[in-house]
Amino acid sequence: MTMLQVLENFARECNSNDRLRQMNREWNRTIVIRETDSGNAYWLRSQEGTIQSGEGSQFEADLEVEGSHDVIRSVFSGEMSPTEPYNAGDLLVKGRQDDLMRLDIITLLIWGE
Amino acid sequence: MKQVVSVSLGSSKRDHDTTIWMYHQEIRVTRRGCDGDMDRAMIMLRELDNRVDVIGLGGIDRYLVVNGKAYEILDARRLAECVQSTPVVDGTGVKAVWEYWVINQLVEQKIIVPDQKVLLVSALDRFGMAQAFYERGFATVAGDLIFASHIDYPILSLQELEKFARRLLPEMVKMPFAMLYPTGSAQEQLSFDPIYDRYFAQADIVAGDFHFVRRYLPDELSGKLIITNTTTEEDRRLLQDRNLRTLITTTPVLDGRSFGTNVIEAAIVAATGVMPGQKQWEDAVRGAELEYTVTRLDRV
Repeated sequence: MTMLQVLENFARECNSNDRLRQMNREWNRTIVIRETDSGNAYWLRSQEGTIQSGEGSQFEADLEVEGSHDVIRSVFSGEMSPTEPYNAGDLLVKGRQDDLMRLDIITLLIWGE
Repeated sequence: MKQVVSVSLGSSKRDHDTTIWMYHQEIRVTRRGCDGDMDRAMIMLRELDNRVDVIGLGGIDRYLVVNGKAYEILDARRLAECVQSTPVVDGTGVKAVWEYWVINQLVEQKIIVPDQKVLLVSALDRFGMAQAFYERGFATVAGDLIFASHIDYPILSLQELEKFARRLLPEMVKMPFAMLYPTGSAQEQLSFDPIYDRYFAQADIVAGDFHFVRRYLPDELSGKLIITNTTTEEDRRLLQDRNLRTLITTTPVLDGRSFGTNVIEAAIVAATGVMPGQKQWEDAVRGAELEYTVTRLDRV
């Protein structure tokens, strides 16, 4: 699965989850995701409870997420929670702490347990 | 005289030193705030090891216990592991037994009634209180996501609270504690953002952690009742200024302040030698003759 497909799947999981749609209904943010090893960039946009994804870094980011291809893929495909690579310094997140926390909660609500 | 010390990640402005009576014993109780500085707390804990009878961890929970399942906060474990010999407690055992009982007592005595609406600002750190409210039929909003994570999503049932706990807590306990809860000077900050005022406005009873309550306190609290602890004289004046009707503190008020549950738990352990989790623990808490305090602020 390509990274874009991983992110599209992540967005689909969010959009099909009623609880997440309600939680994110006023969370309008752009997240730019950069792979440090390949240099590739992707984006996720949350707008009125719906998440969209795409390639490139043309948007001004509210939250920037950086890590290796493997770490990014693992986090956004649910193989790994963001907490561990974040604590280990393998996942760098620039932005407001609240947004980081929300991203963490989103991944846990999709894939937790 | 037995001595217990509470080492808190909270503000040192709330430090105090007093004595309390428990199980016919006088116990010296000291609180030392570290202003959110983990390293300072670790040094203090190492210094106190073997020098006092019991140590309380304040401003942080070591365990979040949800329906019998304990989730250990890693930063709290790091703190507790600085102590080799002296028992270390965090108040979880008192919250689970005592706060559950207090809510039920308040209902029995008709001080609160189940048709009142409750805002419990954080429920995952006081599951006993949450359980009592939901079991007694109170329409209760658990505000963990709202006030801790700024996600405008009210949790409305015990089942949903448990589901969130199962999904979120195994990972969230690994986060730096300061991301989960205000520590040090962050505890003194007030949010002037009225975004969550409606949750206060809709509630007849506001309950739970006082730092969250204080931070988001709306200007007007007429007719409302707050159930909390760790309040000081200054806090009571603040609540009175906002026209709060009744303040109920779940722990005894001594020298003008209500103690943190970790302090009470440390005193119980010092007096009885019974640790939370032991089968005699519930009896030890009940036998401590704790009293909650009801203060009508509109009549002061």
